Amino acid sequence: MSDTAQLASDASSRDPAVGLRAVRALRMLVDRLEALQVENAREQGWSWQEIAYCLEVSRQAVHKKYAGGRGLLRREK
Amino acid sequence: MFERFTRDARQAVKLAQANARRLNHHFIGSEHVLLGLLDQPQTVSARVLARHGLDHERAYRAVFGMIPPMGSDRIDADALETIGIDLSAIREKVEAAFGPGALDRPPQRDHRGRTVSGRHIPFTPPAKKALELSLREAIALRHNHIADGHILLGILRAGPGPARRILSEIDVDLETLRQELVAELG
Repeated sequence: MSDTAQLASDASSRDPAVGLRAVRALRMLVDRLEALQVENAREQGWSWQEIAYCLEVSRQAVHKKYAGGRGLLRREK
Repeated sequence: MFERFTRDARQAVKLAQANARRLNHHFIGSEHVLLGLLDQPQTVSARVLARHGLDHERAYRAVFGMIPPMGSDRIDADALETIGIDLSAIREKVEAAFGPGALDRPPQRDHRGRTVSGRHIPFTPPAKKALELSLREAIALRHNHIADGHILLGILRAGPGPARRILSEIDVDLETLRQELVAELG
């Protein structure tokens, strides 16, 4: 464990500043992982419905969040 | 022009875009088109290049080294460590699957805060030129379709740039490479 982590678990585990900062970092990590995986799934021909099912969200939600594609190379449907 | 593209050639163009996005580049250059070709190892172009030691991974690293990803917010590794998450371990696994820098690329968002991962990325003029030249190469060879091999010929013909620089680093001169491709294309 690094000094930062040691410090946090020793003294500041109930310090909102530390906790919230961790939540924010985790959210950023999840956002990026999700974007990578959704993009990868689309490239492999998965439908929005299939992706939505795996993420346990509605098809509309995942489509709204990620389908920004337009132009020449856009996948049909 | 795209209607004459074979399935593999179309796929190469799509993969060029996917590679540009993965690298967080906001344009598709001929180097990304080259990556798109190499991303399909079974094709004529990828096989000829593999013979000379150039595969997707090597080219991807070369492009990554030449053109760094555009501005990215860093994930707060220290903050994650306070809750017992080792970002470097995650990064290692994610990069093994999606290539260097995969986690450093913030999802692009539009003005409403939606992610636009499928957004349109424009081709650079040299990349457009390479694609146009692929048509001319096909015509010169009296082929009525444009295959991945013609695209590589187009890149070779298109003149200096990152793609040509990557190709000139392999153990074959460009004219020989050209001839091998023409022979394979039949």
